[in-house]
Amino acid sequence: MTTASLMTVLHPPLTRGDRARRATVTLLTLVLIAFPFLGHAFQGLGFDLDIGDDDVDSVANALAYATLALGLNIVVGFAGLLDLGYAAFFAIGAYTYGIFTSFQIMPAWSPFWEPLAALGLVAKYHQAAGDLVHFTLSFWLALPIAAGITALCGVLFGTPTLRLRGDYLAIVTLGFGEIVPIVARNVPSVTNGAAGLNGVMAPTLFGFNFRVDPTPYYYVGVLLTAFLIFVSFRLRDSRIGRAWMAIREDETAAGAMGVDHVKTKLMAFAIGAAFAGMTGVFFVAKLQTATPDMFGFPVSVMILVMVVFGGMGSVWGVTLGAFVLSLLQSWFLPSLTQWAHGIGAAVNNDWLQHIDLARSTELIFGIILVVMMLFRREGLIPATRKQDALSFEAQNVAGVRRGGFDAETTRKVLGDMSHAPGKLLDVRGVTVKFGGLTALNKVDLVVPAGGVVAVIGPNGSGKSTLFNVITGLVPADSGSIQFDGAEILGLKSHEILQRGIARTFQNIRLFANLQVIDNIMIGQHARLKTGLLGAVLRGPGARREERAALSRTLDIVTLFGNRLAPRLTQVVSHLSYANRRRVEIARALATRPKLLLLDEPTAGMNPAETLELAEQIKTLHEQGLSVLIIEHKLDVVTRLADKVVVLDHGEKLTEGTPDAVRRNEDVLRAYLGRAATDAANAA
Amino acid sequence: MTTADVYLQQVINGTSLGAMYALLALGFTLVYGILELINFSHFNVFMVGSFVGLGMLELFGVEPNAAALTGFALIGVLVATFAVTMLASGLLGVVIERVALRPLRNVKGPAAMITTIGVSYILFNLVLLGVGADAKNFPSPLPSISFAIGGAVLRLREILIWIASLLLMGGLTYFVQFTKMGKAMRATAQDPDAARMMGVEVDRVIIMAFFLGSALAGAGGLMFGLYYNLTSYVIGFTTGLRAFTAAVLGGIGNVPGAMVGGVLIGLIEAFGSYWISAAWADVIIFSILVLVLVFKPAGLFGRLAPNKS
Repeated sequence: MTTASLMTVLHPPLTRGDRARRATVTLLTLVLIAFPFLGHAFQGLGFDLDIGDDDVDSVANALAYATLALGLNIVVGFAGLLDLGYAAFFAIGAYTYGIFTSFQIMPAWSPFWEPLAALGLVAKYHQAAGDLVHFTLSFWLALPIAAGITALCGVLFGTPTLRLRGDYLAIVTLGFGEIVPIVARNVPSVTNGAAGLNGVMAPTLFGFNFRVDPTPYYYVGVLLTAFLIFVSFRLRDSRIGRAWMAIREDETAAGAMGVDHVKTKLMAFAIGAAFAGMTGVFFVAKLQTATPDMFGFPVSVMILVMVVFGGMGSVWGVTLGAFVLSLLQSWFLPSLTQWAHGIGAAVNNDWLQHIDLARSTELIFGIILVVMMLFRREGLIPATRKQDALSFEAQNVAGVRRGGFDAETTRKVLGDMSHAPGKLLDVRGVTVKFGGLTALNKVDLVVPAGGVVAVIGPNGSGKSTLFNVITGLVPADSGSIQFDGAEILGLKSHEILQRGIARTFQNIRLFANLQVIDNIMIGQHARLKTGLLGAVLRGPGARREERAALSRTLDIVTLFGNRLAPRLTQVVSHLSYANRRRVEIARALATRPKLLLLDEPTAGMNPAETLELAEQIKTLHEQGLSVLIIEHKLDVVTRLADKVVVLDHGEKLTEGTPDAVRRNEDVLRAYLGRAATDAANAA
Repeated sequence: MTTADVYLQQVINGTSLGAMYALLALGFTLVYGILELINFSHFNVFMVGSFVGLGMLELFGVEPNAAALTGFALIGVLVATFAVTMLASGLLGVVIERVALRPLRNVKGPAAMITTIGVSYILFNLVLLGVGADAKNFPSPLPSISFAIGGAVLRLREILIWIASLLLMGGLTYFVQFTKMGKAMRATAQDPDAARMMGVEVDRVIIMAFFLGSALAGAGGLMFGLYYNLTSYVIGFTTGLRAFTAAVLGGIGNVPGAMVGGVLIGLIEAFGSYWISAAWADVIIFSILVLVLVFKPAGLFGRLAPNKS
């Protein structure tokens, strides 16, 4: 089974529907471009579509909301961070442009301003009492500047708060969204307070001033939306996007797979904020005023409703959601009101004649939010499509493979495993306490380079805690852990992974709503370099890296024969239990580990599957990978381990070869109790 | 007024406001302790409660310029108003739980929290459409008796708020600590599955938490009206955020913590408004919220419920 043939089989499911989608998008783009002229064009043909300036203006507003929804989608949809104060960033962007293009702040003129005046950033404002400075920041320059400032605010606000649990983050962002308008109201010297900024400059392009004509704004909105859709897709399908989704699915597992969550979350927050900042500039330039009331909680809720309605995490979904709900306000509800009045007049119903549905917009938004959550959480256009069952042909795309891994592919996957003999992992005197309970008491453990060490012990003896402390998920109270000659105790879990320790979890922690392929790609996160800019630009380097990562993913999958290969594009929560265990091992192998920690890898597997997995671990060992394994099945332990460490009540009872440990009386007592040992002795 | 008088006045104002925040914070804490859910609908259950109270007072013929009631008439009207307001708000909470939250109980992620935002928004807009955007006068049945303590003024409304909230908080503490249902509630907060296996009807416990929390919020809403002599559809939001901060400050999930946290937030608001400016009160309180969450997420008194995951 070669990677190339695997790709040909997988190709249709990976790209199915692309042509139809491309056609739809092209058509929509054409309609959007032609829209402001459709009225005139059809009038010429004898139809009256009744598209006027106010309609162009409505769509321009819808475009502004679409850009906001796209930004919030990155924060809420991709990274899973519920931000209830998103409008705050919208406000910051808006005021940035507003303040630097209005007559709000006017310092006295001095020669200092001359060079800036030459650049067109300020103008001299003549007054009898002395000349003043009038800031005249160009709209086009303001877009990137506001994006930068809001991104910076996002980072400043996010640094302390993004460590919080998801629900606390929601309330803190809600407070932030509340505070920004209050500050705007309370510092009138900068913002003109509640009355708001007036006389904000309209954009000019090559000497043409936009003024209040909606059409040029409309086209700026189209371009901005298109740009942000493009950026959203590029980010989603990149190393960064995968890291966001990993964090959304399981933060702990993401950290253990090498994703730095603080940094990754900050990126989402900053990018989301930057989108809002640019939209703020656009919005204020269009309205030529900015007041604190434009950015309150209702705006944050409205954007959230748009994202939820369209489909959290779905780029087309949130764009559509923003369009539908924005036009609901400006088009559909007024029309419905008119009809209601008409019907009211016909049936002579006073209430119907005086109803005004546009006033109920926000009520409708609240109802949409609840109804969507109760009945269609995935939104109008779900981010993950429903999957068809595998065809018989697809199921057998890869050859059946039983027993160990193919040696050559294993070598390719593991890479250079040559190592100097000696201690790879050296745990010394590690103590972990949870309140009054000592989970580990001065535990020592050595994994020699290239060795397989098994940890056994009754439930509650501290085995998983040992794994957690090695991988940085639990802090130690004392002791030291050296890996490859360097201290790793105190490092964060993603840093420990970078050093070369990968793990699986006892209760399987995959990224449940992602595909097999994405799970394994996320495993490579720490070994790839593409950053935000690289992901958006997708230059030759980024492309090459992505291709190599994909090819490596396919190599890893081929190791498991037809177990995983046909299911590459399946969401992992749909897989069988044993296959989920295999994906977790595949994900760990993807991280290029030097040491692999397996926490009860065969739990819940039948004897045949257990044997298969034991053989596979043996192949990994033979090809030079060091393994530390927690296992209850003693035949597996005997088959694999060079050395067995026995834990009981958080202390190391003994260690030795599997045979020696088997005969050790203390071990028998810990496992079976005193009576059983006596019985064994008597027999 | 001497400085000491001014401070005393701030203490009087702060503890009255704080008692109201504490009642509201208890609702957050009861629900969070059991469901680990920030219930945003609580904000506006409080607001609806104040309108129910207004309606009851009008029903009893209490008008802005009518003569104040005295004696048994006053006590009767107050007790009846509090009782009906609390019952109505409590039932509103139960309906919200039953219709909008129970179907989502086992759904992972932010779905339930987003739903509470939606419910909150629905209540907010229903009241806006129903009674309009203008603040409504809130008539008080209380005679305008006040006591001068040095230069500070203690009015009957503050005494009423103190007594009512002490009674309610005492009642809640008794309920949680000493009744069978209260014990079931504490058990569910520790471990819902274990509680269920021991025969606790978890659904009833959750309904009870929503009922009690919402009823207290309703009482808080009524106090808001009596204290400020007005109510409006917007009051839920800022008051709710302050009360939530109080719950976090006291350690969310912790019933006595919510009470202390409420009073502390009330005092911080009163003194913050005096020393700095009322316009910045929310900024101060919000900063406290962030600082507590970042540096001491368990609050001043820690959570009673362990962190379920």
